[in-house]
Amino acid sequence: MTISPSFRRPTLALLGFSLIGLPMLAGPLTAAPAAAPAPKTAIAARQAGYKKMGAAMKALNDQLKNDAPAKAAMVAAAQTIAATARDQSRLFPAGSGPTAGVPTDALPNIWTDRATFDGQMAKLVAESGKLVGIVNGGNADAIRAQAKATGGTCAACHRQFRADS
Amino acid sequence: MPIDAPSRRSLVWDIYIRLFHWLLVGLLGFSWWSGERHEMEWHRLSGYAILFLLIFRLYWGFVGSGTARFVHFVRSPRTAFAYLRNLRTRPYRATAGHNPVGGWSVVLMLVSLIAMVTAGLFAVDVDGLESGPLADYVSFDQGRVAADLHGLLFNLLLALVALHIVAILYYLLRLRHNLIGPMIHGRGTMPVEQATDLPVGSPWKALIGLLIAAACTWAIGFR
Repeated sequence: MTISPSFRRPTLALLGFSLIGLPMLAGPLTAAPAAAPAPKTAIAARQAGYKKMGAAMKALNDQLKNDAPAKAAMVAAAQTIAATARDQSRLFPAGSGPTAGVPTDALPNIWTDRATFDGQMAKLVAESGKLVGIVNGGNADAIRAQAKATGGTCAACHRQFRADS
Repeated sequence: MPIDAPSRRSLVWDIYIRLFHWLLVGLLGFSWWSGERHEMEWHRLSGYAILFLLIFRLYWGFVGSGTARFVHFVRSPRTAFAYLRNLRTRPYRATAGHNPVGGWSVVLMLVSLIAMVTAGLFAVDVDGLESGPLADYVSFDQGRVAADLHGLLFNLLLALVALHIVAILYYLLRLRHNLIGPMIHGRGTMPVEQATDLPVGSPWKALIGLLIAAACTWAIGFR
């Protein structure tokens, strides 16, 4: 929920223009594994995934505002977050950063610091998996705590690897 | 107009208007800072404080001191244009309270503030983690639209504030008329006929307004 126009965009665009030739040169030499989706497809898919997780997180937090949260809605939301989280990490193939030619807030350090990024992704998968179990347990206070922990992993990774636009 | 037109010092802005003005300045700055830093708990509280101020200001616009009332300063566009034309005549002779153009500037700023705070109440961040207190009444997508509007309206407000400051500097430097002092200590020089009949709002009415504003803010922010 930031309000300032992103000052990073022009920088990223410049970076994009200067690097745009590189993938073309490197393409034939280092072909990506067959399983990895094309950069633009990957960007669209992961953005849709994050949107789905954002909506599910809101649905969960909306319930947790109530004194008597509806369990079914919370279970559905937690499952959406956990299932989507498992798919996200393979949607960051090489070349799907700022150089991809479509708008993305993914920062270049995802690919230069891949081990840290993958570690954060694994943390999200672990915390959201735990969330499903705790939501099924039905204890509202425990769910609140775990929703916060899961959201914390989202925020921590975003601070590191997402442009603050 | 004769240079020695009778004028005297008198109360222009009551304490409630001055407190509203300067608290709003501080809270807007704090809201911007906390929003930029993603300190959303502080950002929400700051927004509630602005909501409280706005509700009180609307109330005071109907029952407050003379210069605070909408009937006093919301003038027809024709009057506003006539005022602009007369700005060239020297010496500049101040009016009590908002002039016909300044009144419209205040209306615009109040409307944008109300719209911005309202959008904030329904706003949702892109991760679904942080939201305004009324965001559970809207969908994620609607909440995102509210958040975008919240940001756009802030930029509009920044433009209006810039215009406000430029106008104040114009009065100070070109018209040799200080608008800043009266907003601090409340008193200013004005024509005698305007100085005599400014009704000052009663403290009891102010107290009722403060209670109304507090109750509304509590009901929205801490339900």
